[in-house]
Amino acid sequence: MQSEVKKGSAEVLILSLIEARPRHGYEIAKLIEERSGGVIEFHVASLYPMLYRLEKRGWIEGRWLEKAGQRRRRYYRLTAAGRKALPEQRRSWREFIRAIQDVAQVESA
Amino acid sequence: MPDWKSYAREHLPALGLSGPREREVVEELAQQLEQAYAEALADNLGPQRAAERAMAQFADWPALAAEIRRAELPVKETIARHVPEHWKLAATEQQVRTRWGGSMVADFVHDLRFAFRMLRKNWGFALLAIGMLAFGIGANSAIFTIVDTLALRPLPYHDPSGLLSIESREAHHAEQAPWISMLDLVDLRQRTQSFTALAGISPVWNDVVTGQGDAERLETLYVSADFFPTLGVQPTVGRTFTPDEDRLGAGARVVLLSYAYWQTHFGSDSLVVGRALDVNGAPFTIVGVLPRDFRYLGEPIAGTSGKINLWFPLSANQIAGTPRFVRFLKVIGRVKPGVSGVQAREDLRSAGATLAKQYPDTDAGVEWDAAPLGERISGRVRPMMLLLMGAVGLVLVMACANVANLLLTIAVSRGKEVAVRAALGASRWRLLRQFLAESFALAALGTLAGIALAYALLRLLVSAAPASLLEGRTITLDSRAMLFTVGAAIACALFSGAPPAWRILRADLANGLRETGRGFTGGHHRFRAGLVVAQISLALALLVGAALLTRGFVRLLDVNPGFDAARVATISTLLPAGVTHAPDALAMDRALLDQLAQVPGVQSAGAVSRLPLLGGNLGSWIWVEGHSYAPGEHTSVEYRVASPSYFATMGIPLRLGRAFDEHDSVNAGGVAVINDSAARAFWAGQSPIGKRIKLGANPEKQDWIMVVGVIGDVHQFGLDAQSSPEVYRPLAASPLFNPYLVVRTNGDAASLLPSLPGAVHAVSSAMPVYDSFSMAALIERSTAQRRFLLLLLAGFAASALFLAAAGIYGTISQSVAQRTQEMGLRMALGASRTNVLQMVLSQGLRLALAGILLGAAGSALLTRFVRSLLFHVSPLDPAAFAIAGVSLLAVALLACAIPALRATRVDPLVALRHE
Repeated sequence: MQSEVKKGSAEVLILSLIEARPRHGYEIAKLIEERSGGVIEFHVASLYPMLYRLEKRGWIEGRWLEKAGQRRRRYYRLTAAGRKALPEQRRSWREFIRAIQDVAQVESA
Repeated sequence: MPDWKSYAREHLPALGLSGPREREVVEELAQQLEQAYAEALADNLGPQRAAERAMAQFADWPALAAEIRRAELPVKETIARHVPEHWKLAATEQQVRTRWGGSMVADFVHDLRFAFRMLRKNWGFALLAIGMLAFGIGANSAIFTIVDTLALRPLPYHDPSGLLSIESREAHHAEQAPWISMLDLVDLRQRTQSFTALAGISPVWNDVVTGQGDAERLETLYVSADFFPTLGVQPTVGRTFTPDEDRLGAGARVVLLSYAYWQTHFGSDSLVVGRALDVNGAPFTIVGVLPRDFRYLGEPIAGTSGKINLWFPLSANQIAGTPRFVRFLKVIGRVKPGVSGVQAREDLRSAGATLAKQYPDTDAGVEWDAAPLGERISGRVRPMMLLLMGAVGLVLVMACANVANLLLTIAVSRGKEVAVRAALGASRWRLLRQFLAESFALAALGTLAGIALAYALLRLLVSAAPASLLEGRTITLDSRAMLFTVGAAIACALFSGAPPAWRILRADLANGLRETGRGFTGGHHRFRAGLVVAQISLALALLVGAALLTRGFVRLLDVNPGFDAARVATISTLLPAGVTHAPDALAMDRALLDQLAQVPGVQSAGAVSRLPLLGGNLGSWIWVEGHSYAPGEHTSVEYRVASPSYFATMGIPLRLGRAFDEHDSVNAGGVAVINDSAARAFWAGQSPIGKRIKLGANPEKQDWIMVVGVIGDVHQFGLDAQSSPEVYRPLAASPLFNPYLVVRTNGDAASLLPSLPGAVHAVSSAMPVYDSFSMAALIERSTAQRRFLLLLLAGFAASALFLAAAGIYGTISQSVAQRTQEMGLRMALGASRTNVLQMVLSQGLRLALAGILLGAAGSALLTRFVRSLLFHVSPLDPAAFAIAGVSLLAVALLACAIPALRATRVDPLVALRHE
């Protein structure tokens, strides 16, 4: 279960990060690290497989874009399907967190 | 700055994705590295530390690759996580193949590589299967090579399809060997239009060569000048005969050497042309040397073609000038282009009809026929060859069936793997190809081993085969044999790969992932049982064939040859060429017999014109006193000359009257001894003693001859040949220039053979000696072809028995293994070990019986085709069928007994706990 939780959390994070605008892999990794303030232990090595999985699932889409004076980079954006799936993912995630909290409170009480 | 792209490319294991996609991933990962590196530099880390930090992001490349693969491939993670490593490998390989662009060859190579890997994992099984295939393929290649050389391939002559063998027979003596007279041949050349050439060939002749060391008797042939051009034979040295050298009545004294004779007697001297060779005391000019591989395979030398050393023009033969009724030639013709065989035959027959009108005394009632030379030549051995090919083919089919059975077992045990691979996205076609690749890999290895085996087997067969069968022809695994072998191997691969492949096509792959994997494995028992039944029926057919041949052979050996072969030895000679008068010849014949009788260990010696089991004989016409002959009617008998002591020495029993005695010699001629067949044929119901006959073509010019004795029939031409009427004349009436000498010995005949030539040379050192055998060896030689065929067939039948046993053992074992639980349950519920034993045995026996019944029915239909090879045995001989059936049943029972006993040792508790 542990790994499912981790993976679920990372997926929600990625989807959220590119909800507003497309980002490339390095940027996503950097943002996850920064925004979680180091709380989420996140390996760069697992980012790319996750991106590919989401892409395969049809929720995100990668595209090579070239900006002036820069190397081309692969930018990921949310697809329509991803956009549709995101609220559901967030809800189930929140439910999960709540469940954890409930259990934790019962335990600590 | 490090080249991060190549760094990533080097470290990331192959993903099994498409090329572009794989490059994309590498590029993206490289950018991650590059940017992290750049950032680390910006943080004032040195290049070394910066690179280390960047690299640390992807510490475990294989794990990363696995993760990416999992993400990219349409894999159900639950499956993928539980797939054993080598199955994953299979899945990866599958993708790798796609990346390669999916060319047919690459696919095939890849499939084969994977197949070999699977075989290495199951090496025990692989060895067994390869061994069986190697045996089947090796035996087939070896036998095919022999069959092909002897019976299938076209004759080794120019345009062999245009060659016809031409024969004439007297209609009411169809049993006599067909020969053609010299004058008829001359007339046919003028009266037919269909042939570019008609070449005559003499019977095998004996000539004595002197002046080359010891006098040497050689087997020679006299052929017309167009013989060699008709066959398209180009001499190695010199030339062949010119028409001028072959003019009737003026045959030139020229000779062609065989290659072997040229090598042994002239040291392959290319200047041999023009030199003289003393033949029968007269010098013959050597005009050429025939090619090394030249053999004339047709009559009259079929069976001895390798032995002909010298060739002369037909007209040089002393009987070339004989009258029309002396038929002694074999004739071959080459049809003109555009003329069909049927037209040629019609042409020949109408010419024959003209001859019959023109020469009614000799040619009335003569039937003319022409058949393709190749058919005549290979026709002799074709039934035997077809039988061998069929038998060895069945062995291969059985080996394939066993391999199919093994593959099926393996396939069933790999049911889950198949299901997983199907779930991983492998199409049925893909799986099918993989399984076929495995059977191809097996067949390929089996073929390699089989070719080695074929080499060894062929050497063994060629050395063991009777000389009369192979005729000194070189028999090697040539390109035709290899082509056949490859064809057989492909057939094996398809046949043995088909059953598991069929299962894939029909299997419920989707449900295969359930614990037992039955989607793939279910329902194969009936199929395997079918395979075993088929194998047993094939084995029965081979056993029946072997049993029939064996019974026939035993009966053949039981045949009384008509003489007592034990302790009799023989040697032949030719009187010196200078001896031409009958009284001189008689004196020499008697001197020879005296000398032989004095050899220590010899009891008695005799002489005869033709020995049993040693070649042909000339017949004669017989005229029986008191019988009125219609014009043109005549009766033929075998004609022989014998010394007084011949019958006793040979142990030929005297039935009536007396044998010849010395008195007959004084009173030259006048008497004859006949055999039982002649007595029955001409004086049925009465005693022939004292009856009178005349011999020869012109009875009015002959004196009466009185029958004084009747002897038993002798099998002159083989134990399997019927005796025909024979008349013997005394030696004194017709002294022998070419006597066959026989001696009865006190001890072992074979050990006396070395002392016989001395006795002959004591009379004249100018006489050659040849054909020295014990009579027992001659009898054995006369049965050699049958013995060879029998040995081969028995070998194949034994292999078939073994393969059938292996098949039934494998199937029953498998079934017992899968029913372990059931057995345990039965025993727990009270079944005794005997019950279990009975259950397993009866399962095996049901298969065996079904196979035996099926095989018996099939054999009953098939054996009629080998009737010509059976001696005094019905193709439906019940004993042969019974022997075959019982031995197969016994072997099947034995093969079932092992797994059956194993089943009885099942511990009920263990069995139930199982699974």
